Amino acid sequence: MSGGEDIPSSAAADPIDEPRPATYYHLARAVLYREYLIFVRYPANAIGGIVVALFFFGVLFYGGRLLAGQALTDSLSGIIVGYFLWTLSVGAYSSVSNDIGSEVQWGTLERHITTPFGFAPVALFKGVAKVIRTFLTSAVVLAVMLLLTGTRLSLDPLTVVPVAGLAITSVLGLGFAAGGVTVLYKRIGNWLNLLQFGFVALISAPVLDAPWTRFLPLAHGSAMLQRAMVDGVRLWEFGLADIGLLVAVAAGYLLGGYVVFHYATRRARRLGVLGDY
Amino acid sequence: MARSAANDRGGPRERDDSRRDGAGRDDAGPDAPADSSPPALAIEGVSKRFGSGEASVLAVDDVSLTVERGSIVGLLGPNGAGKTTLIKCALGIVLPDAGSVRVFGTDVGDGRRAAYANVDAMLEGARNDYWRLTVRENLRYFATIAGVDPDSVQARHDRLLDRLELTAKADTPVRDLSRGMKQKVSLASVLAGGADLVFLDEPTLGLDVESSRTLRRELRRLAREEGLTIVLSSHDMGVIEDVCDRVVMMANGRIVADDTVGALLSGTERDVVRVVSADIDDRVVATLRERFDVRAVEAGPGAAGRDGRGSTAVEVAAAGDALYDLMDALREAGVTVEDVRTVRPELEEVFVDLTGMESGGSGTVGDDRTAAEPRGRSS
Repeated sequence: MSGGEDIPSSAAADPIDEPRPATYYHLARAVLYREYLIFVRYPANAIGGIVVALFFFGVLFYGGRLLAGQALTDSLSGIIVGYFLWTLSVGAYSSVSNDIGSEVQWGTLERHITTPFGFAPVALFKGVAKVIRTFLTSAVVLAVMLLLTGTRLSLDPLTVVPVAGLAITSVLGLGFAAGGVTVLYKRIGNWLNLLQFGFVALISAPVLDAPWTRFLPLAHGSAMLQRAMVDGVRLWEFGLADIGLLVAVAAGYLLGGYVVFHYATRRARRLGVLGDY
Repeated sequence: MARSAANDRGGPRERDDSRRDGAGRDDAGPDAPADSSPPALAIEGVSKRFGSGEASVLAVDDVSLTVERGSIVGLLGPNGAGKTTLIKCALGIVLPDAGSVRVFGTDVGDGRRAAYANVDAMLEGARNDYWRLTVRENLRYFATIAGVDPDSVQARHDRLLDRLELTAKADTPVRDLSRGMKQKVSLASVLAGGADLVFLDEPTLGLDVESSRTLRRELRRLAREEGLTIVLSSHDMGVIEDVCDRVVMMANGRIVADDTVGALLSGTERDVVRVVSADIDDRVVATLRERFDVRAVEAGPGAAGRDGRGSTAVEVAAAGDALYDLMDALREAGVTVEDVRTVRPELEEVFVDLTGMESGGSGTVGDDRTAAEPRGRSS
């Protein structure tokens, strides 16, 4: 090695590090804290999302009242619950692919690929962090909707959070699959985003008339959330079968999405397109 | 330096403590491992082809390479030579079609996550961390992502910030820093997790002279004192010469040279001497041309003599006895020599020769130099 003067060594005086391995707890803490920091330091993004969501609800509410009058007012509670769930679903669905897109833009994606935790687990943690963030913004949207319309709903957090959370976990699974496909086929990402409009159909699926639809993402959870928020049914008042199906659907789609993501990123490594945007 | 994780609490990070001791590497040299433990990086027969059919591109063609722990290896090559693909294969971001990559003995193909506990990379220059987060927040986050509890390496982060002259900016968002500081933060965040092998792509790009020197010093210190292994890709020959123990040159997906900087330079023609004198005129030059291989003649201010003007410099191939003959010829011609020195070839010349690149062409080093500029450096 040639040339140049070195900084005088101070190694002997340095305290000796004893690095401890990070656990999944540390990973969760770091990812959540980073999400919080990005959230508060990019306030325009968060505020913009809330404003856009409220704008569309305003169009829906005032436009619908103009056209449908009393009919809309009668079903307003259900519409608000459905809209609340839809904003949550959109956030959950786009969490993984949007996060990958942001990391690419920031030049930090490779560092999340070359982590000993594994790319898929880190992406999952980041997706969950985004879902938590979405809960906060959707709660603001919900509060404004209730104030705007003068509607009253049952807002028991011990019921609403688990039911809504499990309902959108299935969508998080779809988002995972979409994120994986996006890693593989970059240009398909925008088309996959169109799927979020299909969530309207899933949220309003006729689970009573067509029970098979309960196995679709969101449908069963949406029906339970309607009962919880409109009819005031508490979590422990639901039947075990209802809760079991809610958990099973959530776990099934999340696992499926995770597997698709895993194999898609593996194929992307093979094709040499992982992180190559 | 005890950077190893105790690893008795689970988690994804498993490290090989045997490689921690960097002692003795100065004696052993980059190509002579001090013990029988596996090298930091062992690439064997790696090939990677992108696409299929006639449109396919063979990016890396049967490349084998070993990097001993604690060494700094420069990776050079024109654009499209396969450097980035090779690095991505080493990192497991791209799976090779053939061959294997082992990081500290761990096969990246079979145990990618275990291998990642010991490796990190700066592939995006200053865009390698979060600009909205502060310097310290970045270090803590990327240490965690790298598998280390950030609270346990707080002292290391403080030292890193101190040595990279970032302490005063530790709580400043990265976006508010200068380009040079952003680059240093990128390096700090790569080192924050205590990886033992790091890949650095153009680490000094965009840095001013002082920042570049600071960063080079720190790289050398990390390799010497902490046993850090560095694979450094750069188009800046000065950085490569200054920092690297060894240089690997690639062209068309293959390694065309792999040796120390000194050996690469000594392998080239070194028998050219540069003579400067105010007495050298056309007649003298013509006489020299009759008996010697005159490589270049420079006149004017570029070859200032004792009086600062009017001197002429000639570069003549003359080694061994020929050098004495040259001196005799100059004396016979009545030339009073003002300065004489051997012309040391630059690494860039070696690079151009070995890779078949045209100087100043796309992807070559020293793109900002004009072809008319004299090459080589007197020593």
